[in-house]
Amino acid sequence: MKFSANPLERALQVSGILLIAGLLTEAVCLLRARPLSFVAFVSIGGTFLFLGIVTYLLAIISIKPETPGPEGSTGNR
Amino acid sequence: MGMPLQTAFVVVLVLISIILIGITIARPGITITRGGKILGFFVLFLLPILCASMGVSSEMERSKTTQFCLSCHTMELHGQSLHVDDPSYLAAAHYQNHRVPADEACYSCHTNYAMFGSFKAKMAGLRHVYVYYLTKPPAPEDIKLHEPYNNRECLHCHLGSRSFEQGAVHNADPDLLPAVKVNRMACISSGCHDTVHKVATLSKVKMWNPQP
Repeated sequence: MKFSANPLERALQVSGILLIAGLLTEAVCLLRARPLSFVAFVSIGGTFLFLGIVTYLLAIISIKPETPGPEGSTGNR
Repeated sequence: MGMPLQTAFVVVLVLISIILIGITIARPGITITRGGKILGFFVLFLLPILCASMGVSSEMERSKTTQFCLSCHTMELHGQSLHVDDPSYLAAAHYQNHRVPADEACYSCHTNYAMFGSFKAKMAGLRHVYVYYLTKPPAPEDIKLHEPYNNRECLHCHLGSRSFEQGAVHNADPDLLPAVKVNRMACISSGCHDTVHKVATLSKVKMWNPQP
């Protein structure tokens, strides 16, 4: 996977990766009804999801989007 | 036991979210347009929050199940004590006669029927996880309650019931019921209903077989 050159898009990609890590942890934990899964769900999954959402929110409020190019995006595809 | 429907639904929702987020990561340029921004907000903010809250709800419900509590090796004997063929065993009598939901037997008696009781029960559960995995857990017969059992938990169901209010033994002494209701005399440790799990002698008692 290649990160976009556009700072906003790059931040969204980082946010997405963190969210996927959190959601994958959540999915794995949900498949096993064990106390340790519950702890992992809350601590590891919760942390990734929190960081992903915070990264997304910070990106949309603090990074000024660049002017879109002719194709509608300035980032690498 | 299969996966509960609620949990299965959350897992499917999580997988759909992962796919949508994956598409956003692969093509971040789609978030440039107005529609893309809305999509990004939905996929990177609303969906993860929805998945997390539904996941927490599902995990909370599952953590109440008898199967969940008995999944720790240390709790095996306590689980067996629910099958003792002797009505004087309090936990067994409640479990076998469905005085508590059989699939939430542990939680029904060991939660705290006060404000934030469920939350406190979960916190106690986290402490159990810590003890189980990071320290040397006590032998099953040495496991003790964190604090003396409060009659409130019994009265949550029994208060007002005919057998409790009008039972011959309960009314033999006029001071007994008022004392029990204000937790001055314990239901369990006062010598009346003191056989609860009694796991130390479990190998010597007859077990009930639910299959006819």
